[in-house]
Amino acid sequence: MSVDVDTRPATAVPVRLQPGLAADLRAFGARDFAACFSCGTCTATCPLVDDDATFPRRLLRYGLLGLREDLLGSKELWTCYHCGLCTESCPQGADPAGFMAAARRYAIAGYDVTGLAGALYRRPRRAIALAVLVALVLGGAMLGVARTAPSRQVALFRFVPESTVHWTGVAAMVLVAAVMVVGVVSMVRGLARREGVTWKTLTAAPGRALAWSAAWSAVVSESLAFRRYRDDCAEEESARAPWWRRRWLVHGLTMWGFTGLLVATMADYGLSLVGLRATGTPEPVWYPVRLLGTLAGLAFLYGVSVLALNRLRRVERSVKTSEVADWLFLAVLWLVGLTGLVTELSLYVPGGATFGYGVFIAHVALALDLLVLLPFGKFAHVVYRPVALFFHALARARSVSGERTYD
Amino acid sequence: MPDEELTTPTSDAEHRRIGVYICHCGGNISDFVDVAAVRDAVATDPNVVHAETTLFACSDATQHDMVERIQRDGLDGLVVASCSPKLHVPTFRAVSRRAGLNQFQYTQVNIREQCSWVHSDDRPGATAKAAGLVRAGIGHASLSVPLEPVTVDTVPSALVVGGGVAGLRAAVGLADLGLGVTLIERTDHLGGAVGGLGAMFPSNQSGRELIAQLVAEVADRPSIRVLLETELVAKSGSFGNYEVRLEGPPGTEPVTATVGVLVIATGFASYEPALGEFGYGIEGVVTLPEFTAMVDASPGPLQYRGRPVGSIAYVYCVGSRQPGGNEYCSKYCCTATAHVAVQVAARDDRVTQYHLYRDVRTYGVYELLYEEARKRGSVYLKYADDAPPDVARRGDQLVVTARDTLTGPDELEIPVDLVVLVTGMVAAPNHDLTSLLKLPLGSDGFYNEIHPKLRPVETVVDGVLIAGASQGPKTVSESVASALAAVAQSGAMLLKGQAELNPLVAVVGTSCAWCGECASVCPYDAISRVEVDGVAVAHIDPSACKGCGGCAPYCPNEAIDLLGVTTAQVELMIEGMVAPVHEEVLVS
Repeated sequence: MSVDVDTRPATAVPVRLQPGLAADLRAFGARDFAACFSCGTCTATCPLVDDDATFPRRLLRYGLLGLREDLLGSKELWTCYHCGLCTESCPQGADPAGFMAAARRYAIAGYDVTGLAGALYRRPRRAIALAVLVALVLGGAMLGVARTAPSRQVALFRFVPESTVHWTGVAAMVLVAAVMVVGVVSMVRGLARREGVTWKTLTAAPGRALAWSAAWSAVVSESLAFRRYRDDCAEEESARAPWWRRRWLVHGLTMWGFTGLLVATMADYGLSLVGLRATGTPEPVWYPVRLLGTLAGLAFLYGVSVLALNRLRRVERSVKTSEVADWLFLAVLWLVGLTGLVTELSLYVPGGATFGYGVFIAHVALALDLLVLLPFGKFAHVVYRPVALFFHALARARSVSGERTYD
Repeated sequence: MPDEELTTPTSDAEHRRIGVYICHCGGNISDFVDVAAVRDAVATDPNVVHAETTLFACSDATQHDMVERIQRDGLDGLVVASCSPKLHVPTFRAVSRRAGLNQFQYTQVNIREQCSWVHSDDRPGATAKAAGLVRAGIGHASLSVPLEPVTVDTVPSALVVGGGVAGLRAAVGLADLGLGVTLIERTDHLGGAVGGLGAMFPSNQSGRELIAQLVAEVADRPSIRVLLETELVAKSGSFGNYEVRLEGPPGTEPVTATVGVLVIATGFASYEPALGEFGYGIEGVVTLPEFTAMVDASPGPLQYRGRPVGSIAYVYCVGSRQPGGNEYCSKYCCTATAHVAVQVAARDDRVTQYHLYRDVRTYGVYELLYEEARKRGSVYLKYADDAPPDVARRGDQLVVTARDTLTGPDELEIPVDLVVLVTGMVAAPNHDLTSLLKLPLGSDGFYNEIHPKLRPVETVVDGVLIAGASQGPKTVSESVASALAAVAQSGAMLLKGQAELNPLVAVVGTSCAWCGECASVCPYDAISRVEVDGVAVAHIDPSACKGCGGCAPYCPNEAIDLLGVTTAQVELMIEGMVAPVHEEVLVS
């Protein structure tokens, strides 16, 4: 039984409220949370709540009162898998789950030093326009350097030079990594301050082991294997979807598929670097890297399609409402997956050259689009969530071992 | 269900014929008191012709048996030994009436609360005590005489004190019952507190409109006489026939009137914080009534001293629910604040409004207003009872510092343009009226009713009724409801033309030689000096006497007796209680 009490020691100086926060959050999609009268039903029903993380009630309070640092420094924000149970049980229609989602958007914007994420979330049409524009510019640039390619058999890198794709990708990755590092540092500062975690507590003798176990839990058990997503966030027996539509599995297939594709792409490039195999050429489908890519691509496309269909048909309480940001992310993911599969198909089917090159350009442009805009939208959760889960796992480990200095 | 009956069918002329019923109360009494032994101990009393134990004295069957017994055996006294007189006196008085026995010749003895419940560890002791109490009851009944209620003629008119919403509504209601009404108001205008209000919860109707409507209704009724700048200065007479003296503005002749009842609707005063209490006195710190007046006065965006107000902090329970101060809840202020916050938000939804409360008591339908206030952006912070918010001005900025128990451990600093101290209602200063009417005050300083549930508008002073916020904090609808309750009660008292009063009053015997002691201690002014055949004696007005018995012990000649509890009866009761109980009775 967890108690919805903040056990941190009080700050030395009073915290000044920021009156505009609630209005800001509204602009990020939190529309009904002012109705909250703090009964705590949401926290009581949430299957993820434990002594080391009580939410969402308290986070709604941060938003209502104007406690920005508390909100951005909350690991709980990212502990949630948005099952929607709290919204379903809220007696005031305050939509706590919707608030949590909006607060995560706000946090992504808050961690982002460029201010771009905030601008895009506030004005969803701009986000769509930018995504389209970036894709067009990248696609145009690729076309600009394209050469005449064989028309009998598709040879992608005789169409666009491999180095162009490669270096554009590297540049995009460096750029994105830089922005994300700054974001993560900003996030970690807030979380560490709230959680009473310092570099010393992480590296000194007893803390080090806890930190390793927390990192394992955050990255492997939770982020890759979805332990709590699977066990705790499952819908009750009566409302449970068939296994092939379970939320954790669909999300898992999407993520594992994406990871598989990433590994396959890297491996392909790596093999060509060591001269084992040229990339972009037809290979037997059983060829290990190609096989991995194909299977991962299918899993990915299946996952994204089911996610989109569920959202469209609002089959679960978790997807009763959708924001433009949700759709934009899904749309880009799905197009990347689809163009990738069609590109692969063009390598094997007769006459593939008629459409293969064009689809390939689109695929490269969209994939780069997805990468470049990662820090400024929903995709950023792929980085922020494991970080928060690390702090959550650390808090649990510390409280189990009696290591926490407060309580 | 009688176990065994002991009846002495004959008795001589100098003895009474009393029936005694001793109740098991299921097992409530008989588990700890040997009821059969009690019956045996009293059955031999020469005044008792019938004694029995019964499973439930109050059951229909036993009541039926009692009626039959009284009639068949010609009983002239009835003793029921069961529970507290608070519970069943009306029941057995009714039994007596149905049987044709005078209801004041029945005596109730409490052997449950006073024996079985308090002496559950001592059966012989409880039994002996019960026997003593029942004997005392028999002694009391043996000297009982038939008494009839005092009947007085009543005057079909009423005095309403206070011209606020409750007084006005009461006046209209009384006039509609056909009663004459004199309405007096201390100030020079009608309307009271509500008359000064703009939009009110829950319908947004303005207080001024509401009062204008009521004043028009009053003006429509010729049977209502309105006297402004007038106060009640004297009251004499008794229930149903009060003579009141009303003093108007200087230079006018006092008015006297005869009224059957008085309806006191003197309203409330708003709590005035002390300087420095939650920052009161600092520029930008106002009370709720000041703030609502401010909102009411200017229809546009909110301004304070010419500067726009972009943020407000409401501090609740100022002067309310304070240990050692006003300990009660005014129960209207939460709703009034939610209502004004909704109005402010409706004018400009960018105004940030923080509500620092202890508990939100927007009860009933007003819950919707609380919800609306929240949905329009009002933020509610709950401060702990022992950690009230601090209000201070730092340079140009008002700052409220508080801890929100719903959020976290941190002290929060709230910069605002305006602080509203949510003050409640306190009793209106009406010392002269209170002492003139001898009205009892509660610990909260408001007038007290006799019974909060069953007699909510009557006071211990017969014919003086209370209405509206003079009784305690009330919303307008509650005030009007209580005013109409006072109207209904006035009708019940006056429309029959006469009233029956309790005959258990003090009477003066022949040994009185008028010393005036009794008159000086009577709290109801019921005793006066009269001359009978040229001799001064005390006279007690039975319609003014409340039967409190306060006068009797002061009489040096023991000339005063209280009907129903005469000195002789009390002496006999004491004898009955101290008489020893035979051992064999207790072990039987």
